[in-house]
Order: sequence, then structure tokens, then C-alpha cells
Amino acid sequence: MTSIRNHIRRTREDVVVDTTIYLLLAIVFFLCAYPFWYGLVLSLNDSLDTGRGGMYFWPRVWTLDNYMEFFRDATWLRGFLISVLRTVAGGSITTLFTMLVSYGLSHEKLLFRKAYMAVIIFSMYFSGGLIPYYVLLKNLGLLNTFWVYIIPPSLNTFFIFIAISFFNEIPEALKESAKLDGATEMRIFRSIILPVSLPLVVTILLFSAVGQWNAWFDSAFFISNKALRTMGYLLMETINQANVPSSAVAAAQAAASGKVDPLAVRVTAMMISVIPILMIYPFLQRYFVTGLTIGSVKG
Amino acid sequence: MRERKSSLWKRLWEQRYLQLFALLGVAFILVFYYTPMSGLLMAFKKYKIQTGYAGIFTAPWVGLKWFAEFVTDYNFNELLRNTLGISVLKMLFTFPVPLLLAVILSETRNKAVKRLVQTASYLPYFISWVVVAGFCLQFFTTQEGVVNKVIVALGGEPRFFLSSPDYFWGLVIGTGIWKEMGWWAIIFLAAITGVDPSLYEAAMIDGAGRIRRIRHITLPSIAPTVTVVLILAIGNLLGGGLGGSTFEQCYLLGNTANRAASDIFQTYSFRIGLSEGRYSYATAIGMIQSVVSVILVFSTNAVSKSTTGHGLF
Repeated sequence: MTSIRNHIRRTREDVVVDTTIYLLLAIVFFLCAYPFWYGLVLSLNDSLDTGRGGMYFWPRVWTLDNYMEFFRDATWLRGFLISVLRTVAGGSITTLFTMLVSYGLSHEKLLFRKAYMAVIIFSMYFSGGLIPYYVLLKNLGLLNTFWVYIIPPSLNTFFIFIAISFFNEIPEALKESAKLDGATEMRIFRSIILPVSLPLVVTILLFSAVGQWNAWFDSAFFISNKALRTMGYLLMETINQANVPSSAVAAAQAAASGKVDPLAVRVTAMMISVIPILMIYPFLQRYFVTGLTIGSVKG
Repeated sequence: MRERKSSLWKRLWEQRYLQLFALLGVAFILVFYYTPMSGLLMAFKKYKIQTGYAGIFTAPWVGLKWFAEFVTDYNFNELLRNTLGISVLKMLFTFPVPLLLAVILSETRNKAVKRLVQTASYLPYFISWVVVAGFCLQFFTTQEGVVNKVIVALGGEPRFFLSSPDYFWGLVIGTGIWKEMGWWAIIFLAAITGVDPSLYEAAMIDGAGRIRRIRHITLPSIAPTVTVVLILAIGNLLGGGLGGSTFEQCYLLGNTANRAASDIFQTYSFRIGLSEGRYSYATAIGMIQSVVSVILVFSTNAVSKSTTGHGLF
């Protein structure tokens, strides 16, 4: 294809199309990347200096004070730790559970497989909505416990479909050979399936960990115990407070008293919730594209 | 007969671990997905939360009382207008953008530029709506917002982007596009990559230019993928289509100042249910949305199957 292109003279249309494309790409890049950059700049700049305004692309007075302040604050630190805990625990439990269930369901010879799949597929299209769900969680005793972060999201249909498509790609011969050797299903799963499913494990782990890390909804509606609030929830709370007019006054007062002002802490908290995602981004890129294309187009 | 029966048990026993795994999953889905569906009964009843989950089944029937009350609720017209308006406009504006982005990316000859832009474009997908709301404060507040500062610098008047109903729908559509376009572009891009290169070569030899190749080869070739994504999006019309969760947007960006444009069925149902404790009434409101969504999925799928031959199921 390239060889043909090289032999064909660039027409005027080519020039126009290419120019338009690069212009649009520049706009897309700026719109997507700049908010993150601007957030980083604000979080790394002295908060009093930020108040003077006029800073857009580079910090004027470098400081890590905003980050120190975040981790010195007992409420934020606690929220951060709860978020870390639910990410690690929730991510691993979801991954393990999804792998087991999907492995079972992926077998063509599984009895009642069609019925099981019908149950799962229908649940993708119809839901009882929030209130019955809330009543259910209440009666399961999950409200106001850490478990509400872990158990309800431990299995979802999207992950099941990704995993089933993956398992279906594993050559049947691999499993058969182990069976002839007298291995049980458990053993086959542990010593044959798991090792070749590393990309799948990583995909689901990343997906569910990002979901857990970003979660705020359950913390807002299913938790009233302040000690269990996640960082996402605390961030939502500060953003809501900033969304009312009186906070401008509060910010000015804080700035005058020389304390780190709420804007700086808010932006820093935002960056602290974004930075881990940026750090695992190369892995996300590598694994989730396959996951997405299998999951949503086939599922 | 007896032999067949015993062979069924035998086969079940042979696959006991597989059955155990599968049943664990099915049981989980039954508890966390189907039990709430049975809870929809409370939309037709006078339910009190003190009576536990079983109370849903024993509560006295009230027929369509809550639905009738909702339709005559003084907020109803506004809620309906916002729910439908936001859903339909989001659909119209957020669906074409990822498609356009995918086509543009596939036409980019400089691979490094393509990768850089694509990488940046789906970064917003991975952050939470809470952080997006935080970015909105950074950019759109009247005093400190970067956008307003630019407007003022150019000699304009600052706008109340976050605290006026006039801008709310635009804000929802804009942030929806920003957060999700790169993600959905991946799917379209994958489909474009799968197009047979010889088609392009033949078209080039016939003298077709870039635009014509896009129109007559790229777009028709990825039509099946576009159809599937369109069905998914229409099925999720009230949830937000391809533009992410409308509920989260309206909940996080909505405030008392822009409520006339930001209050939708779901946010209203939340306030009524969880803040005011009117569980039956809130369930009825939520149920309207679930039923409409299911009808949308099945009807778009049926229409698409009969007209284009492509469908989800």
C-alpha cells in the first residue's frame, strides 16, 4: 500500500485532507491533555502564588506542600487508604471470582449452559433500579460496612463475556491432554488454564482496579459512617462545596490566613486520584484494547 | 429411561467443579441482579422499609397510584423535558464524534502523531466523573475558570457556565464527548484496521481520492460495527448513550442554580427515595426508565436486523 502511495503524486485533495487532519488532531490532543497538565501545574505550585492568577502552563513557585498537606490531613489520608484497600482487595477478588465462573461457563459440554447464559444475558438488559438494590443491600447487612465496596462489584457480566471469549480461544487439545493424564478440573484450571490466561487476568485486574479506585457512588449512598468514606467520595464532597457561591469567600479567607486554600487541596486530591492511573496507563493500553474489542463487539 | 437419568447424574458428577463455578456465578447474578428486579413490585405497593425485603411481597397493593402521582407531580414536565432532551441531544452529538475521530486517526500517516493523539484521547475515559467535575470547576467557574478568563481577556463578559440552566445541557454533552470519544474510537478504529487493504489499492488505481475512499470504502466496511455500537448506544439512551453516565453528570454538575435544566428522572428518584425515604414512589420513577430502556434495546435490535441484517442478538 505504501509503495503505491509513494509513486502517486500528492494531489491538492491530499494536502487539504492532511492539513485538516493534523489541525483536528492538534485540537483533540490539546483538549484531552491540557486539563491534566493544568491540574498538575496547580497542584505543584505554591497555593498563595496560585491565587495571584495568570499561571497556565508551568508552575511559578514549585512546592510539594499541597501533597504534604493532603497526606497530613487525617480525613484525606484515611479516605486515600480506604481507596487503596478497596482497590487491592476488590480488584483481586473480582478477578478470581470472574475467572472461576467464566471458566465453568466457557465449557461447551457444561450441562444447562444455555440456561445459565440466558440468566446472565437477560440481567444485562433489565435492572431493578437503585431503590430495590438499596433495600437488598440493607437486608443483606451490607450497608455501612466495608464489604459493600467488595462484594456487589465482585462479578459483572461484562467481565464474564470477556473471560468466556478468552477461554474459548484456548486450544481444546491443551485441556484434553491433561484430562488423559487424570488431572481434575481444579488442577487443569490451576496448572494449565491460569498460566496461559495471564493477559486475561491482567485485563480484568486492571479494569476492576480502576473501577474500584474511581468509585464514589457506593460511598455516597450506601455508607454513612464517616470512617469508611473513600477518597472519591471526599473529593466529590469538596467539589460540591466549591460549587456553591459562599466558597469563594472561604477560599479568600483561607488564602489571607496563610493556610493552604481549599482549591489547592482539591486540585491535589484530583491529581492524587489521577496519578496512579497515569502510572499504570501503559499497561492499561496494552491490555484493555483487546478486552474492549472482544467484550463489547462479541458480547 | 432410568439409564438416561443415571447418565445425567453421572455427567453432572464428572463436571462437578465446572458446575460449582458456574452455579456460584449464577447464584450471585440471581441475588444481586434478579432480587432487585423482584423488588420492582414495591412500585405497585405501599412499602415500608422497616418490614425488610420480605415486606415488599406482603405490603398492600396500591395499583398504579405512584405512577399516577409522578405523572401529575409538579416537577414532571421539567423532569421529562430534561431526561429526554439530554438523552436525545447527547445521542445526536456524542455518536458521530468517535466515528470521526477513528476515521481521522486511520488517515493519519505519521504513526507517532497518531499514537500520541490516540493515547491522549482515551485517557479521560479512565478517570472518574468526580475528577471531570473537578476539571469543570477549574475551567468553567465564573471567577477563576480558565475559559472565562480567556473570554474576559478577549473582551467578553464572563458566563455562568456552572450555575445557569442555559449552559447545563451543553456542559453535559461537551464533557460526555470529552470523556468517552477516545474510548469508542478504539472500537471503530479496530474495525477500520480490519478492512481489506486491496480495496483501497483498487480504488486508488481507479483514481478515487481520500474523501471518496473514506466514503465508499471505509464507512461501508465498518457499517456492521457502527450498527452494533449504535444499538448499544440507543439501548443506553436514557443512561447516556456513548456519552457516559448521564446520572453521574447530572448529579455531580447539577446544583440548585441549574436544577431547572439538570434534574432528571434518576436524580429525582434518588432524592425522593434515599433522602426523603419514599421508596415505593422512587421505585416507580426508576422503573419507568428501566422499562423504556428495555423496549429501546429490543426494538432497535429488531429494526436493525430487518433493515441491515446486523444485530446484537
